[in-house]
Formats: sequence, C-alpha cells, structure tokens
Amino acid sequence: MAYKRRSWWARAFLRNFLAWLAIAFALFPAAFVLGTSFNPVNSLSATRIIPRHPSLSNYVRLFSETSFAAWFLNTVKIAGISAILSVFFCALGAYAFSRFRFRGRRAGLLMLLLVQTFPQSLAMVAIYRILLKIGHYLPWAGLGTHPGLILVYLGGSIGFNTWFMKGYFDTIPRSLEESALVDGATHFQAFWRIILPLARPILAVVFVIQFITFYSEYLIASFVLKGDKSYTLALGLYYLINEHYRDRWGIFAAGAVIGAGLVLLIFYALQSQIVSGLTGGAVKE
Amino acid sequence: MGTLLLKVLVLSALDAGAVYFSVLLAWEGDWTVLLLVVLGTAGINYLVLSRKAYPLRYLAPGLVFLILMVVIPVAYNVYISFTNYSTGHILTKDQVIKVLTEREYQPSPPVRYPFYGFGTREELHGILILTDSGPLFFRPDGTQESIETHEVLDEDGDGIPEALDGHPRLSSREILAHYSVLQKLRIPWQEGWLRLASLTQFGYFLPQYRYEPERDALVDQRTGKVYHAGPGRFVAEDGEGLDPGWSTWVGLANYIRFFRDPLYHRAFGRVFLWNVEWAVFSVVLSFALGLALAILLNDRGLRLRKLYRSLLIVPYALPAFISVLIWKGFFNTEVGLFNQLLGSHFGIRVPWLADVFWARFSLILTNVWLTYPYMMLVSLGALQSIPGELYEAAAIDGAGPWKRFTSITFPLIMISIAPLLIGSFAFTFNNFTIIWLMTEGNPVVEIGSRAGATDILLSYAYKLAFQGARGNEYAMAAALGVIIFLIVALISGISFTRTRALEEVSRGL
Repeated sequence: MAYKRRSWWARAFLRNFLAWLAIAFALFPAAFVLGTSFNPVNSLSATRIIPRHPSLSNYVRLFSETSFAAWFLNTVKIAGISAILSVFFCALGAYAFSRFRFRGRRAGLLMLLLVQTFPQSLAMVAIYRILLKIGHYLPWAGLGTHPGLILVYLGGSIGFNTWFMKGYFDTIPRSLEESALVDGATHFQAFWRIILPLARPILAVVFVIQFITFYSEYLIASFVLKGDKSYTLALGLYYLINEHYRDRWGIFAAGAVIGAGLVLLIFYALQSQIVSGLTGGAVKE
Repeated sequence: MGTLLLKVLVLSALDAGAVYFSVLLAWEGDWTVLLLVVLGTAGINYLVLSRKAYPLRYLAPGLVFLILMVVIPVAYNVYISFTNYSTGHILTKDQVIKVLTEREYQPSPPVRYPFYGFGTREELHGILILTDSGPLFFRPDGTQESIETHEVLDEDGDGIPEALDGHPRLSSREILAHYSVLQKLRIPWQEGWLRLASLTQFGYFLPQYRYEPERDALVDQRTGKVYHAGPGRFVAEDGEGLDPGWSTWVGLANYIRFFRDPLYHRAFGRVFLWNVEWAVFSVVLSFALGLALAILLNDRGLRLRKLYRSLLIVPYALPAFISVLIWKGFFNTEVGLFNQLLGSHFGIRVPWLADVFWARFSLILTNVWLTYPYMMLVSLGALQSIPGELYEAAAIDGAGPWKRFTSITFPLIMISIAPLLIGSFAFTFNNFTIIWLMTEGNPVVEIGSRAGATDILLSYAYKLAFQGARGNEYAMAAALGVIIFLIVALISGISFTRTRALEEVSRGL
C-alpha cells in the first residue's frame, strides 16, 4: 500500500513536471518578446526576460519612427471588411444550398468542395494580371489598392465558408421557418429573422477565423500592396525587422506585442467555439 | 408593385452603366473583359427578373467573387502557363513593332545642326535650327513656321539672330530651363527626324528598323539584315533576336523546361524533395508531440489540466507571421538568443539559418512549435471518444501501457485523425509564410538558380514571378502553379476517399 502511494505521487509529479516543461517551450518566445518590448536596450543581446529598467521607449519609438499605426489600421480594415462581407455572402449562399432544391445544386456543392481545397495563391500570376486589368479601368480597385486586396481575399474565402456554414444550417430544424412561411413571411424574411439569429455562434466563429487568416496573410498582400503606408502588419513588421535584428529588436518586440495582442484577445474570448470550428471544420467529418 | 418599380429603376441604372462601360471597352478593343461585362450584366438582369432563378439570388453575391478571384484566375493561370509571358515578353506584337521602329541610329558621319532659343527663362517663344538648307523655325510644341513670317534681328550679320519677334536669344544656361520641352521634340526631317543631341545642337537620326508587313519582318536600315517574326520575337537567319519580344503561345515549352532544362530540372528536383520532407517531418513530429501532450492532459487525475490546455495552445493563438519573425530573431547567428546562450555556456556558434541542414532544422522546429497545439486539440477530442471499457478489458487481459497504446489508442484515434493529418500535410506542403519569413528559401545552393535549399514549390514559384532583380518569369511561375495544383489534387483525392464529404454531396444532402 505504501509503495503504491509513493508511485502515485511520483507519477503525478512527473506528469505536472512534463506539462510545465511543455508550457515553458510554448510560452518562452512570447514571454521573451513581452519582456524585450519593455526593455530600453534595443538589442537582441539582452538575454534577460524581465528587463532591469522597464520603460515604454520602444512603444514610443514604434509609433513615432515607423508607420506601425498605419499598418495596424490597414490590417484591421482589410481583414475586418473582408471577413464581414465574406460571412454575409456565405450565409446567403449556404442558406440557398441548405433550404432550396434547384437544378445545378449538386454540381454547385461539388464545385465549392473542390475549390476550397486549392490555395488561391497557386494562381498568383493570374491574380496579379487580373488586378492589373481591373486597375486599368477602376484605378481604386486595382493593383496597389486595399479594395483590390479585399476583392482577392473575399473571393478566396467563399468556397470553404459557404460549405462550412451549409453544414451548420442543415442542423437547424426546418419547422421554425416553415411556420413563419405559412404565416406569410418571404424566404428572405425567414432567412434574416430566423436563420441568422439562430446561426449567430457559427457566424461569429467564421468571422473570427477569417479575420485571423486575413490578418496573417502575407503572399498575396506582398505583391498587391506597394508602399510603406499601405502595408498590412505582416508586410510592415517583416520589412521593419528582416535585415535589422541587430538594431530594431526592441521596436519590433513592441509591434509584435500589439499585433499579437489583438488576435490573442479575440482567440481566448471565443476559445471554445474557435477551437471546435478549426479542429472540426478543417476537414468535414 | 413598389418593389417592381424599384427593381426596374435599379436595373436601368445598372444597365446604363454597363452600356457606357461596354462602349469604353469596345473602343479599347478589350474583347475578353467586354464579354465578361455583357455576360455579367445579362446574368444580373436574369436573376432579378426571373422567378425561376430565385435560389440563385442568394448564391450570386458570393459566386461573383468566387468566379472572379478563384475560378477565372485558375483557368487564366493555366492559359499563362502555355505562353512565354515574362520580362522581355510582356508586350503585344503590335506594341513591339512600335517600340522597335522608334529605335534610331546616327548616320555616319553624324549630322548636327546648331540651334538657338528665343524668349525668356520662363517662356520659350521658339527655336531656330540652322540646317545646311537654311534656318528652320519651330514653336515649343513642334509646329514649324516659315522664317519669312517672323521678324529676325541680326545686327552683327553673323547669321545668328540676336532676337526674334522681339524676343531675345537665350544663353545656354537659360536654354537649360526648357530642357524637358526640347527633349520631347521629334521633328520629321528627310528620311528620319531631328532631335535634341546636346544643349547647343539638334542631331539628325534615322529609324534603325523598318517594318515590312508583307514579309512580317523588320529590316535593319544600316546593315540590311532581315529579322523575321519568330515565336515571341523577331529573329535573324543567324539566330540573333531583337528585344523586347512579345507574349505568345508556346505550348508545353514551360513544362518541358522543368524536366529538360538542366538548371530548372535540378531546381525542381531539389525543391520538390525538400518540400515533401518539410511537410512529412512537420506533420509527423508535431503530431507526435501533440499526441503525447494530449495523452498527458487526458489524465483526469491532473488537476490543472484546463489551465495547462489553455497555456499550451498559445502558439496556435498567436499570428504565425509574428511568431516566425520572433523565432528568426532567436536563430540569428550573431545576436540571436540561441547562439548567445550556446556561446556563453559552451563556446559554440551554430550557423542556424546560413547552413543547409540547420536552416531546415530551424524551419521544422519552428513549424512543430506552431502546429503541435492543433494536433494536441484534435488528439484530445479523439481520445475522449474512445470508450473506457476497452481499456478495462485490456487491463484484465494483462496488457501493459505500451501494448494498450499500440493496439487500442493509436489505431482508434487514427480513424478520425488520419484525414486531418492529410489536410495538415496539404496545408504544410504549401505553407509559404513560414518559409518566406524565416529564410526566403535561402541559403543559396546553386549559382544561377533561384531555388535555394529551403524553397518549397510555392516559394520557388513566387520567386520566379515576383523577385524583380532577375526579371519576372511569370509563365514559368504559372506552370509551376499548375504542377502544385496537380499535387494538391492528388493529396485531396486521397483525403476525399477517406471522408464522407464527397458521399454527402453525391447523396444530395
């Protein structure tokens, strides 16, 4: 009996020890950067996590010496608008696929399923030329503009989201709308008044997942956007730090804290929904 | 009735706009875009007016963007991959002919005529070019006017007027103020044209090439050499070609280059091999770590498991581009955290991102850090769905922990996780952001090739398309895009056979 007890304690200790080891591995980059951002010594060579003389100087320099504020606003604007429009258009499409029976429905679903498996970036050259063309006629929506980038993001997110939301709409019982339809509501009213409010959790999840995806997108943004002031956070921070780890590490750390902070807040606020959305939805089971 | 009126009003406005735009497009001769605009407008009219198209009204908004930014690009990308579209082959043939026939040469010996400007620093009244067949007078916009109609003041009689129409002659310093205006002048003269050759002289220049439509060839006016229109450029008998060329159909040439042209062939083989290694190692290692942690957390005896789980998924919650840039800082050879620690404790320096092996090691380590939380979460879900009785039965049969893992846990969770692993493989296979932000595909392994040691196919395509310094090989990038497309299709095909997604569609759910 005494032997068993000791073994239980040893195992519990080992398990907790391993867990904390893994947590240290998970957290040290973020902890290190958080500490660096308050360290006025603007160099990587300061290997302390908690700075000796904490100050906000890196944050002050970040906003006064770089276009960080513009990058941040651009990113929130682009990711926000793309994600909202995407959620709305996909909910409309998903409603039709879920509730109507029409010719071409099966082919349409199959197309969505196929389209969402291919990353849009494979067609980067074509996207580049199409934006060039659009810019020739509509200069505000062509290459080098935010609306142009939003256009690309929006198109790329339709396939997966429509497919994903359709699956959710299928689980909402039809009886709710049917009684409304009997009472003389139009299909659109049923969609707007009944389905959308019921689907609010999934709309929020899709919005947040899309927002974070667009927030972190690099490839397409890098050839669409031109000029420091129009950059997104991913481009701006990359050009800020890439050749300058020696002399801009502190400023970068401040930018990383703000840039990651927003996403981290959203993620943990909606943790359980996002986790189930990401892990369950990536490949539909 | 009110909605019908509204519909008609909105449609009329839209159609009017479309007609205006179509005329503009027809004027420019842009038939493809014109066709799209006409089809699009017709489609919208049909949608709004036909009752049969009712479901399509819900689909249309999303569908428009899907078609514009996914379906058309994919088809267009395939088309580009069959052309030679690249730096030096951007223009159309007509544009190339225009560019080449505007090239000029100086007759030998060169013919130069002195010129004089009249007016003030602010305003140029006109210029006088003293040619061998008499003085010519030109306005700043290039129109010629007979010198007889102008009042010339030449008091010292040296043939160079001091003033013209009362405007004084400009000094060479004052002429400089009008340099940009003068530079644009191209005055037709004999077989060619006169243009500014220095601040005091206009020179006589001849067109170097003349286009002969009946032979579809350019003739060099100095040498008489004939350049026939070949595929994509004008080429002489001896093989000498003229730049720029134009964009044209080349069939499978780009694909063949990836398999025959040694430079591209070696690059493709190298990149493909590493691309597979990268995806396999990333997925296997992150899954192993994720599964191990899931098993650790799945123990109900662990009191803080909720907290542990929340802390362990932090790497998943951070935007990947920021994490990668942070890790890149740690890997920095001179000032990075790792070399600082290794240097001060063991006196060693590891060339993390400069050496082929270490660069790949660093990338995979970073990616494992980024992806293990996902693997942990899906493994946790799968573990919780295994019925407890199975373990009890196994314990009665005397199976040890390892036996229980290999014969119960692992086979059972793989049923639900295998498709996710394939999905993760496909995603990692094309995970451009990590590769690019960490190494940009470097270190270089072959001089003259763009493909570095850590390039994946997608980053190699990106370099071909957009890395300006060595020109843009758009068509090669497009061909590579199609090849990646086929690889993804293969992976997805495998994945679809393992999930019910396709079945659901075919059953019409």
